[in-house]
Amino acid sequence: MKITVCIGSSCHLKGSKAVVGELQQLIAENNLKDKIELAGTFCMGRCQEGVCVTVDDKFYSVSPETTKEFFLNDVMPKVK
Amino acid sequence: MNDLCADIGYLSINHAGEELCGDHVETVQQDDGSAVIVLADGLGSGVKASILSTLTSKIISTMLASGIPVEECVATVAKTLPVCSERGVAYSTFTVLHLINNEEIEIIQYDNPLVILFRDGKNYDYPRTELNIDNKKLYTSKLKLMENDIFIAMSDGCVHAGTGLTLNFGWQRENIIEYMEAFYDVGFTAKTLSTILLDECDRLYEGSPGDDATVCTVRIRKRETVNMLFGPPANRDDCNKMMALFFSKEGKHIICGGTTSSIAAKYLGKQLKFNLNYGDSDIPPTAELEGADLVTEGVITVSRVLEYAKDYLSENSSYKIWSYKKDGASQIARMLFEDATDINFFIGRAINPAHQNPDLPITFSIKMNLSSELADCLKKMGKNVKVSYF
Repeated sequence: MKITVCIGSSCHLKGSKAVVGELQQLIAENNLKDKIELAGTFCMGRCQEGVCVTVDDKFYSVSPETTKEFFLNDVMPKVK
Repeated sequence: MNDLCADIGYLSINHAGEELCGDHVETVQQDDGSAVIVLADGLGSGVKASILSTLTSKIISTMLASGIPVEECVATVAKTLPVCSERGVAYSTFTVLHLINNEEIEIIQYDNPLVILFRDGKNYDYPRTELNIDNKKLYTSKLKLMENDIFIAMSDGCVHAGTGLTLNFGWQRENIIEYMEAFYDVGFTAKTLSTILLDECDRLYEGSPGDDATVCTVRIRKRETVNMLFGPPANRDDCNKMMALFFSKEGKHIICGGTTSSIAAKYLGKQLKFNLNYGDSDIPPTAELEGADLVTEGVITVSRVLEYAKDYLSENSSYKIWSYKKDGASQIARMLFEDATDINFFIGRAINPAHQNPDLPITFSIKMNLSSELADCLKKMGKNVKVSYF
């Protein structure tokens, strides 16, 4: 599975650094390093909905506050 | 003309409690790669000293640049300077570095500490000829320039640093040579080398300088071009044209902006590789692209570079950050401020629909202002800057 986080200007201002940091931590805590590839990308063209995140090809709008929820609800079920 | 050029950078610290500096550096640069740099130190400190040194450096640099012999320049200065009412003399010491066609240098020194020359990393004791003009003893030297020569001119405030405080007899020229030799190979700019030396002087003075102190450094180096792409073209049909012009340029290539880097990646037929390593920086991470030397995010990164550029032109305190950090803004700063002598900007005027959001502090005018302000700063650093808009 590949999670891609936008690190472009708008998403950066909306907190992509915090999202990336939290995802890195969650992946490490759950020992999923060999199952999940975390990547960055520049603008996905949907800045209004940032922070823009895709899981494989599915789009999600995430914020630093909702990262954990997103990880538990949208990522974890798919890994197992 | 050869492919050498001069990187000139100077800075002063004032006598404690003075608003004005009694030292003055004046530079006149000519199109053929010639330049006249005069560092003058006026008698005393404050307003009077400032007037003396400004007049002296301005007169000498203007006259020498128009090809008038040094004897006449000195005579003019002696006749022009107002006589100090307290001391009954008109007096300003000076050092002239006259670069000729980037091939030769003529050094004329009157009563300032002798210019230090580092050649091949070592102190080089150049020959000097004594010249007597109106009972004033001047030293002149003429040398062929070599790549990586570093000339350091100082006012006596530098060699007096620490007298009676941290050191008994101040900081001698030999100590300064020893101190600065260590920085020869680092690749710091002339301005940064001047800052490093002055910071040390200030430290020896315990933060309260007993005299104005000025350092002017000249680094002889090869020309190097850096090209920077920022923003997609206003008309999407111009993408290929813009990319073709950008990538055909000799030198290093920096690409700033998300959409811009995707266009470049498509043009080159290569994949962008992102890294998510922020380090301790709040600047968005950089990406890699085969065929480009550096790929970064746009406005946030470039705004930071502009901050560094403005600081470089004034106090130059943030070099302590950008000269070693790995974030995008620091890397751009090093490439533009340290490596580049010639810079080509390729500025795209597309309006990013994503930025037309009132919640975001990014607007089209900010982007355009950023690029023109940065270009102005780089010109003030003495770089050849060309800007093309698409």
